[in-house]
Amino acid sequence: MMNRREFIKVSAVASLSSLGGGCRPSVRWDRDAYRKPATSRVAILEARSYQTSLEDIIRYGIHLFKLDLKGKRIVLKPNLVEFDPKGVINTHPAVIEAAIASFRSLGAREVVVAEGPGHRRDNEYLLTASGIYDVINEHRVRYVDLNTDDVRRTKLRSSFTNLSELYLPETLFNADLLVSMPKLKTHHWAGVTLSLKNMFGVVPGSVYGWPKNALHWAGIHRSILDINSSLPIPQFAIVDGIVGMEGNGPLQGQAKQSGVLILGDDLVAVDATAARLMKIEPRKIDYLEIADRFLGNISHERIVLVGEQLERFQQDYRVIENFQELKVLTG
Amino acid sequence: MINAAIDLLLGAQNEDGGWGAVKGKRSNTESTSFVLMALKSLEGNPFDRQTTAGLKWLLQRQKDDGSWSLSDASKQSSWTTPIAALALLSFQDQREHALRAAKWILTQEGRKPGWVATLLFRLSLLKKITELDPYLSGWSWTAGAFSWVEPTSYSLMTLKKLKRSLDGTNCEERIRQGEMLIYDRMCENGGWNYGNSRVLGEALWPYPDVTAVALIALQDQAMSETNQKSLRALDAMLREAGSGTALGWGILCLTLYKQDVQEWKKILVKNFEKTRFLGEIKAVALALLAFGNGASLFRV
Repeated sequence: MMNRREFIKVSAVASLSSLGGGCRPSVRWDRDAYRKPATSRVAILEARSYQTSLEDIIRYGIHLFKLDLKGKRIVLKPNLVEFDPKGVINTHPAVIEAAIASFRSLGAREVVVAEGPGHRRDNEYLLTASGIYDVINEHRVRYVDLNTDDVRRTKLRSSFTNLSELYLPETLFNADLLVSMPKLKTHHWAGVTLSLKNMFGVVPGSVYGWPKNALHWAGIHRSILDINSSLPIPQFAIVDGIVGMEGNGPLQGQAKQSGVLILGDDLVAVDATAARLMKIEPRKIDYLEIADRFLGNISHERIVLVGEQLERFQQDYRVIENFQELKVLTG
Repeated sequence: MINAAIDLLLGAQNEDGGWGAVKGKRSNTESTSFVLMALKSLEGNPFDRQTTAGLKWLLQRQKDDGSWSLSDASKQSSWTTPIAALALLSFQDQREHALRAAKWILTQEGRKPGWVATLLFRLSLLKKITELDPYLSGWSWTAGAFSWVEPTSYSLMTLKKLKRSLDGTNCEERIRQGEMLIYDRMCENGGWNYGNSRVLGEALWPYPDVTAVALIALQDQAMSETNQKSLRALDAMLREAGSGTALGWGILCLTLYKQDVQEWKKILVKNFEKTRFLGEIKAVALALLAFGNGASLFRV
């Protein structure tokens, strides 16, 4: 049986995964561009079901971070990579709906929903089948297909891949805040897929393909780092952990009821906390471990939890056999 | 629906003559090519001025090597090249431009595994992850990446239409390899997704739009068992996916396979009323192609 690092390397050469195991650079980021906070706050908020008043919960969560939203343009970036009527692949429409209402009620000038699905090109199908079309239609929200949006060439501020530049959608450059809204899921190549991995969806398929294979060749872990370190606007995260996915995620895993939303303005800290909720050790996720050096915090001593206690919602999320070593929590 | 669709397309034409992904977006090669085909498929081509402007946009952007980039914002040659060639083939006097594109297509090839991966593959480690044959030669979305079903299908359509003018090249062999790749990536019960039938032992499901595109590329083997199996899969998928893109490609494919498409056309009209296909230019153009005589433009 291959262990995780062997597995990742094997996956990489198949063009379907990363070189994460070999991702041990010295300093591969622009030191002047990042000021890692001394501590980061992450909110864990109970949300028992999608029928709960999610707007109240999300608005309270955003309020905790004192975001200045007056007159701002907000881009909500859910996870809509695929659709399976029997699965729980996507960010639930009720969470997106609640986020739209929350940001609007807190003074945002415009809220846009935007996604660049990684596998399917057919947005209309994904939106209508997933129920998101009804939400954006009812709330008269603009939807942007980031796969076919106008693009702008952007110099990378880190060099974990050999790409040196990325094309990014214009919609990002014209907004004030990018809200990553992933589903709480395990991932069969990256270990977990949360707010940082969700940013793969901002990279335009029209340039990088479906799947975004050029990034897979460059390495999933490396690409996650380069994308997130080069985004042109501030970010916030709202993780849909009401029902998550365990096992063979991100598409074919099993639903796992967790009853929680995780929010924060340090996406690295949010993802580390979400990983711990799944009883997965964040330091064993290569991109999180490296992100801890410059983008945000993963050490629990540096993360101040607000809202509920982590332990109350912590559950054992199953991972595929090759990722068993991720399950040993070190603190 | 036809008039509303035409109005939507004409109202979205940019001042430079091209079309973007939706109204107000920068002109790009894919959208402009599909709209040109849609307008050309209308009887008598009543929109000559708009068509001429669109054609000019496209021709001005063909690179010296015969390829097209995605849009003016991106310099690199792109997967849109065979689609532009198909659009030019709908004009009687643009064959030479399409032929230059076909020659560029023949210079392109999806990336294959290096020696490390080859070793791992021979030791059967990679087979546990996917069950595709990584050595088959097709076309990728972007230079230096792996081959996938959709770009390979577009390239096959173009090459099959032009193969008689490509004597002395490796066109026949590339077509044969491309076909093998597409069949290799077919899903368990027929049909195709982006290009993986199985990952980590789990079967993946097909998509209607990609299935239709692949079947169009393979239309010269219409009666083969595999094509017929995928045709049945397409029929089943279209009953669940009512998007403009899925129905547009689906109807074009079923027409080429001599199937009755009246029922699908009714659904296409009904769904256009509901969503206007999100204003996506390609989807609306595909709907027009499907509703009219567009299938003939994809006959190889």
